[in-house]
Amino acid sequence: MEQVNALLEQFGFDWPKFIAQIILFLIVYGVLSKFAFGPIITMLEERRRRIEEGQLNAEKIKQQLAEAEQRYSELLQKANTEAQALIEEARKSSAAITEKQLQDAIRDAEGIIARAHQDIEVERHRMVADVKKEMIGLVVNTTAKVTGKVLTPEDQKRLNEETAAQLAA
Amino acid sequence: MLFAAAVPLQAESFLRNAPAPFAEWLTNSIFVTAVVVILITWLARGATRSMQLVPTGRQNFFEALVEGLYNLLEGIVGRHMIGRTFSFLASIFIFLVITNWFGLFPGVGSIGWGEVKPGSMLPLAVEYVKEPLLRPGSADLNLTLGMATVAMVLWFIWTMQEVGPGGFIHHLFAPKGGMKGFVGLMLVPIFLFVGVLEVISIATRPVSLSLRLFGNIYAGENVLGLMIGLGRDLGFPPIFAAIASVIIPIPFYLLELMVGVLQAFVFMLLCAVYIQLSTSHEEESAH
Repeated sequence: MEQVNALLEQFGFDWPKFIAQIILFLIVYGVLSKFAFGPIITMLEERRRRIEEGQLNAEKIKQQLAEAEQRYSELLQKANTEAQALIEEARKSSAAITEKQLQDAIRDAEGIIARAHQDIEVERHRMVADVKKEMIGLVVNTTAKVTGKVLTPEDQKRLNEETAAQLAA
Repeated sequence: MLFAAAVPLQAESFLRNAPAPFAEWLTNSIFVTAVVVILITWLARGATRSMQLVPTGRQNFFEALVEGLYNLLEGIVGRHMIGRTFSFLASIFIFLVITNWFGLFPGVGSIGWGEVKPGSMLPLAVEYVKEPLLRPGSADLNLTLGMATVAMVLWFIWTMQEVGPGGFIHHLFAPKGGMKGFVGLMLVPIFLFVGVLEVISIATRPVSLSLRLFGNIYAGENVLGLMIGLGRDLGFPPIFAAIASVIIPIPFYLLELMVGVLQAFVFMLLCAVYIQLSTSHEEESAH
């Protein structure tokens, strides 16, 4: 033990100096723990937390963006489909309307033609009747003038009937 | 005045004419250690006074240092011990790096008292510096032994907290490797002997830790002193000796810069390994 003490003494070991050096080192330990490592580790943790949070947010935003894009794409596709259906429907409606209008026009035209035919027929009958009447009148008058006699109602009736029969033939 | 042959083994009184008890314990190394404490306090306070989420300047440097050390030490002592031990281990490194490098400041170890140099043009020149005015703290055994003692005390406390006395004794003496039955019994004496060797190894740790650091830094101080005075010792003319005293030590200064970091790193790393060896739960987790 004496040898150890002598060796330590030779190296300058001394209890008060030894304790003073320990105290100084413990001060450094305390100062660094309180003022350096504590705040820095807290800051590093905070930064790590924020980075993780940021990454999570970025991931969430990315996912939301993908969802929005998908929704947008679906909406676009749906709108396209609906638009196509509407166009098709419109096209069909338009064709039906056109067809209906055409049919109506044809029908109207046919009606007009039929009415025209009827009118023509009626007019023709009326004209024929008028002509007949005129002709009968002419035949009776002419006959009366040619024969120079007064025609009896029976003569007139007979002439009328003969003329009418001839005209009808 | 600027030349030195060999640094004395013991730290000398900083205030030679001060009253006895004060002068006795206030050595040049304690004074330098106190300056280092003030310097570290100033640096640490400056780095963390107004911390920003996006770091700049000193805060950036301290954060990089702390983060690097934290990751390194976490890999050694494990996640379960890093919270308790990080501040101590990182303090060792930072304190020792600055203390070791402090010895490289011009004048530290090379300005002091000695025999007056006859015929010198400088008024206070001495032949050799026998008692340097300033001495790096780690070139004093009181500091290195003190740090090693604190390290071992804390190591013991953390070991007891983590594995308990039974676990510690089991870790030292119990047969390892999961041997049971007759083979296990045969191995008991061997592992008891190994345990005794382990106890001796633990007991010598403060000595090995302190002497390694002290020896390296003290030797560095001596090498630098010798290199500064090499030109004069070789009999160069005064002007060449003066030039040589500036040029020759340069490579050794670079070497000492490296030694300063390396020794701080070794001290911290060994403490971390000692903690890891006695607090790891590998055997328990293996079962």
